[in-house]
Amino acid sequence: MIVLIGLNHKTAPIAVREKIFAGCQEEKDLLFHLRSLKGVGEVLYLSTCNRIEIIAGIEETEEAEAVHSLRDFLALSGSLTPEEAAKCFYEYYDEEAVRHIFRVASSLDSLVMGETQILGQVKDAYRQALAQNATGVVLNRLMHCSFRAAKRVRSETAIAINPVSVSFAAVELAKKIFGTLTGKKILLIGAGEMAELTGMHLITNGAEEITVANRSLSQASLLAEKFHGEAASLDALEAKLIEADIVISSTGAPAYIVTANLIRKIHHQRKNSLLFLIDIAVPRDIDPAASSLENVYLYNIDNLQDIVDENMNVRKKEAIKAEMIVEEEITRYVSWQKEQESVPTIVSLRNKAEEIVRAEMDKAAGWMNKLDKEEQEKVDSLVNSIVNKLLHTPVAALKEESSEFSSKDIVATVRRLFRLDE
Amino acid sequence: MSLINLELILFKIAFALCAISTAGFLLSLLVKKIKLAKFSTWILAGAFGFLTVNLLFVVINSTGLINLGSRDFFSFCAWSVSGAYLALQFKTKTRSLGAFISPFILLFMIAAAGEASGKSLLPQNLQSWLITVHLFLTIVGEALFVLASCAGAMFIIQNRLLKHKKLSRMSRLLPSLNDLDRINHICLLWGFPVLSAGVIAGTIFAEFSWKAGWLADPKIIWTFTGWIIYGFLLHQRLAIGWKGYRIAVFSCAAFILLLLSYGSVRFCFSTLHNFI
Repeated sequence: MIVLIGLNHKTAPIAVREKIFAGCQEEKDLLFHLRSLKGVGEVLYLSTCNRIEIIAGIEETEEAEAVHSLRDFLALSGSLTPEEAAKCFYEYYDEEAVRHIFRVASSLDSLVMGETQILGQVKDAYRQALAQNATGVVLNRLMHCSFRAAKRVRSETAIAINPVSVSFAAVELAKKIFGTLTGKKILLIGAGEMAELTGMHLITNGAEEITVANRSLSQASLLAEKFHGEAASLDALEAKLIEADIVISSTGAPAYIVTANLIRKIHHQRKNSLLFLIDIAVPRDIDPAASSLENVYLYNIDNLQDIVDENMNVRKKEAIKAEMIVEEEITRYVSWQKEQESVPTIVSLRNKAEEIVRAEMDKAAGWMNKLDKEEQEKVDSLVNSIVNKLLHTPVAALKEESSEFSSKDIVATVRRLFRLDE
Repeated sequence: MSLINLELILFKIAFALCAISTAGFLLSLLVKKIKLAKFSTWILAGAFGFLTVNLLFVVINSTGLINLGSRDFFSFCAWSVSGAYLALQFKTKTRSLGAFISPFILLFMIAAAGEASGKSLLPQNLQSWLITVHLFLTIVGEALFVLASCAGAMFIIQNRLLKHKKLSRMSRLLPSLNDLDRINHICLLWGFPVLSAGVIAGTIFAEFSWKAGWLADPKIIWTFTGWIIYGFLLHQRLAIGWKGYRIAVFSCAAFILLLLSYGSVRFCFSTLHNFI
């Protein structure tokens, strides 16, 4: 059976997650250690900034002991009392565990729903487990199915398409204005944290030159150094505006720093080229009247937030579709899992049939040896064909019944009918 | 199978593909799926391929390209516009432009299909290689102008969406403002000299054949007006530095003006260019 034990941003504060993360890191052969716990056959350890989870394939007969050991391991790693652990940990079994890991891989359980990093992190965790031979048939299949669910969610829904952070929304807008950001010049006015983050995203997306203009030149230089850019004082603002394609402003100035008149004045020197103004400051730094100027696109923090909110709503709507996809994939996996329950019985049945064939062939060895090689092969083939045809119907029925319902009853009946346990 | 039959089959396939791609492009606007526009671009590329082969057969069959057929003329118009659109796709990824261009291509194909095969476009007195050159260059020049104007129309829509602080699905579907402005720039830059060469070829023919009076022909006045507007837009772009919204608005306005005046000239006046 499958069990998943873990904690995430919803159940445990960051301090607890940090402690457990550090504790797990201290364990040198973590996966080997987990696998050596009694009853644990397969194991996978997933750790991201928002969650720490152990997914294990355990023996049904030793379920209680195995779960207890795994829970204790996590609690001890973070030096948690049993009460604290009970509050922070969640445990899922079988179908619920499958649902959880599918939702995690599909980014439906993430802090920012639809974020794309989680799938890579789950894949990394699986890769590590695979490298250390910590997984087997059950977890291998589980993880592959979770990747398929995540892939379907990504390709069949729009859950990950629209940005849900202000800085990413600004990048998307910049792309809608300029197409590519390669070679675009950015002017940061002020040294605010948000402006810095937005500038960073723009640079990651191809923008090349960055100038930081600030009242204090020393502060401007500090930030400019981070971006390998240029620092300027606010006195040089007009000249820098002429060169810029994207302007991000976030000063604490009480009045407009960039007025509509200033933009109008430099527009000709800028050769009427497109200008994207992002005003993250409150109170605003850029005169809203600039928005009405030709080829000028001004967005303030509220405009960007509106886009983010709208995108978030789209993601929530898409999440409904995504949950349906996850359910489809769970059904598929569970059906396979049930089918697996009948596999040992099918193997026993075939073995028994082979034993009977072998015994009967040995008995017939006397007259069989009188036949030539070709005739012997024909008899062999005939016997095998009869056995296979006889077994085909019960095996197919066993598989079918198992995939749809609980296989316990039918497996028991088959074992009794064919006396497989004798 | 005779070459004439093969020509007809190729034309029919190209026509069907044009219709499918137009439907695909328009549907992509409706359902706001860029994948559909990409797929339609491939179908249009197929139509362009069939049309190219069809026109090659026409060239092989014709007598020195002097006596142009009416169907071939309209096919060539469709071929020029789709060729210009597809060539631009190498420079910019602006698949949704197809939604604006493909209806024009389909209209040309419908016009071509409406013409009987083998019917001459030009009256006997106009059958000359210079007229063929004149038509070829003028059509390519005008096709580029159509593209410039379509890009302008899309720029206006995208500009409006972005000015209203909306990053809607439509906005995401349309190309970036910069790409659209670039298309407008490329089309004006290439289209004007091509059209100029076409006008010069026509002028030379008229001067030698008709001697006098041809300058007052309404369609020639229309062509010169178009040429001057075209030149004006290019001048404003290169010398004055018009960019983005203003050039987009003027391109669209010029296109509508030329289309309306063409209609009135075509249906209200008797001209030396009665064949188109």
